[in-house]
Amino acid sequence: MPDLFVNLMKEEWRIHSTMFGSISFALFPVMVFFIVFMGSFLAPLLSSTIPGGDLAFLAHATFLLLGFMVGGFGILGNEVMNRRFGQASLLVYSARSLPLSGRFIFANFVVKDIVYYFFLWVLPFVAGYIAASPFTQAPLSRGLLLFPSLSLAFLLGLCVVFLLSSLYVRSKPALLCAVAIAGGAAAASALLSGKGVLLLFPPYLLYREFSWHLLLGTVFATGAMFALSVLLFSPEKESPAGSGRNVFPALARQLFFVPHPPLVAKDLIDLFRSGIGIGQTLFSFLLPLGAIWFVLSLLWDLLPSHGVIVIFSLTTGVIASTMYTWVTEFDSFWQYACLPLAQSTLIAGKMTTFSLLQAIPACFSGAVAVLAGRPDLAAPSILLCISISVYAACGLAFLCGLSPSVLLYDVRVLLSYLGLNGAALALCAALSLADPLYSLFSPLLLVPALFLVRRAKTRWDARDPDAI
Amino acid sequence: MAAVIETGDLSKVYGEVKALDAVSLSVEEGTLFGLLGPNGSGKTTMIKLLTGQIRPTGGWARVLGLDVASDGIRVRERVGIIPEQESPPGFLSAREYLEFVGAVRKIPDIGERAERWFEFLEFGNKKDVLCKDLSRGTRQKLMFAQAFIHEPVLALIDEPLINLDPLMQDVVREFLADYVRKKNTVFLSTHHLEVAEEICTTFAILHNGKILHAGPVADLTRRGEHLLPFFLSLVRKGRHA
Repeated sequence: MPDLFVNLMKEEWRIHSTMFGSISFALFPVMVFFIVFMGSFLAPLLSSTIPGGDLAFLAHATFLLLGFMVGGFGILGNEVMNRRFGQASLLVYSARSLPLSGRFIFANFVVKDIVYYFFLWVLPFVAGYIAASPFTQAPLSRGLLLFPSLSLAFLLGLCVVFLLSSLYVRSKPALLCAVAIAGGAAAASALLSGKGVLLLFPPYLLYREFSWHLLLGTVFATGAMFALSVLLFSPEKESPAGSGRNVFPALARQLFFVPHPPLVAKDLIDLFRSGIGIGQTLFSFLLPLGAIWFVLSLLWDLLPSHGVIVIFSLTTGVIASTMYTWVTEFDSFWQYACLPLAQSTLIAGKMTTFSLLQAIPACFSGAVAVLAGRPDLAAPSILLCISISVYAACGLAFLCGLSPSVLLYDVRVLLSYLGLNGAALALCAALSLADPLYSLFSPLLLVPALFLVRRAKTRWDARDPDAI
Repeated sequence: MAAVIETGDLSKVYGEVKALDAVSLSVEEGTLFGLLGPNGSGKTTMIKLLTGQIRPTGGWARVLGLDVASDGIRVRERVGIIPEQESPPGFLSAREYLEFVGAVRKIPDIGERAERWFEFLEFGNKKDVLCKDLSRGTRQKLMFAQAFIHEPVLALIDEPLINLDPLMQDVVREFLADYVRKKNTVFLSTHHLEVAEEICTTFAILHNGKILHAGPVADLTRRGEHLLPFFLSLVRKGRHA
């Protein structure tokens, strides 16, 4: 176990450091540290509008969401083990050549990923907050308490999605039963204990009222979910050879109205047949957004009536932009290299597929506005959400080409990405919170988005794919 | 005969590693050219350069009269390529992959052509199986079919026989010989020296990114030499040099 784990850690480091240099990768947590350090100075200012307790709750909810976003190992596991990285001959692919079980290698792979996320995100976040505490008058003890509570919030989110996604792959009815039972049990506990929704979120409760019992209980529950998820994973499961009805030509013909129909048809078939399209929609889109809605609904009294819907649309837009990574994670340029296709053509194809997928966030944000009793905000919400999403995805295409999930860990790329999106988000948020009708102007973001995607094409065509 | 591939001082450097070092070659139309070399000698890099998949760091190359650095896409439109490692997309079936290739290459009668290839390479019973579930040999057949389905005048193929059984290797060898007889050209990278000696008309030996020897196979035969000992002595000398 230690040898494999250590080598997986080394391998992950080398993948990133080879791609964009050791310093750039090593600086990533340093950057997170400084962003939080500087951001901590804003906390006293924010606390005049948002009570301190809610601010801490938001921080814990953010880490829960981070866990949600990265916890889909159950869906991606087989891709990771068998195909996605297969060509690169990584250690995780060695189940067939080493006397180690696939599940054992997979467990090490997941733990390695968790450790990396921990050092890249959780630790620098807490360290940044603690380092700023002497200047912000925040009590050091509260800062130190953030270390276990935020870590557990992240791990809880990750393990919940890991477990649900593993169940999803094994059996959809089992998933529904588990969700129903867990939901019922949680609601009953919350009602009986009188602690309301906080009991559903033990890491935050831990931050508010620390106790060793709660700490150990949360650690145990999280560990149990992790162990169960690994047990549910079945890399060695023998399955009959998959077959597919020849849907490609008909689908490509039906897509006559979009650019690059063959590329888009191939992407859509990939998403559908792998199950990743539906799985990602459930676990990387609807579940995080459900949690965000829950968190935002707690701020209903603090914001203007349209504020929650505006912030939710913006957040939905940001999360919807990650759909660009869904459509790029199946293949690399090299799978197309024997065909007369430039990187720019592939980027255009991926952007087209991404644009079609935007029907999901569009329907979702419109439905949320209607269900929240503000049908008048449906159109502004949809426009705001889609404009942000398309703009952010075009920024990703410009900065990362066809490899967003890898290159975003280059600190220079991430800073550029944050800069590009931060300015647009701040502007849209300020205007739309002032008056939601300003959201109707958000499609103006499509102008810089178009510019970015055009630049992306020339930029990535000029680069040697071997260098990525 | 006209040269379909010409290179002059073609070089590719990755950091401090010279993958190709000032390679000058000429491959004439209607030949089956074998590029031979040990592992890591630069064969795959050479094919990637000649098909415009990557750009040279020095020198030049022209394929079918097109500059590969500036006209890579047009080169790939006109040639067929079998890459050494890449597999077809996992979630398309074999038939769908050929349909996809046909759509990208704008081949009108792709359905009929695909059927002919399924029959010729004897994998019609696998045509609806998703590529991720195909055996390596069947994937190799599929990649072979995609490389020739548009009937290119030049094919650049990297280790085309490596996963095929002896019967299928024989079918492929026959196909390549026949293909060249029809005035087409094949640029073949391989470790199979016996196969190269049997079917190649000219060859070059690449070692550490440099060409150690280039010439017709017939010259060796005339001298009563065989490719394997010739190759081994040249590469061993190159290692000691």
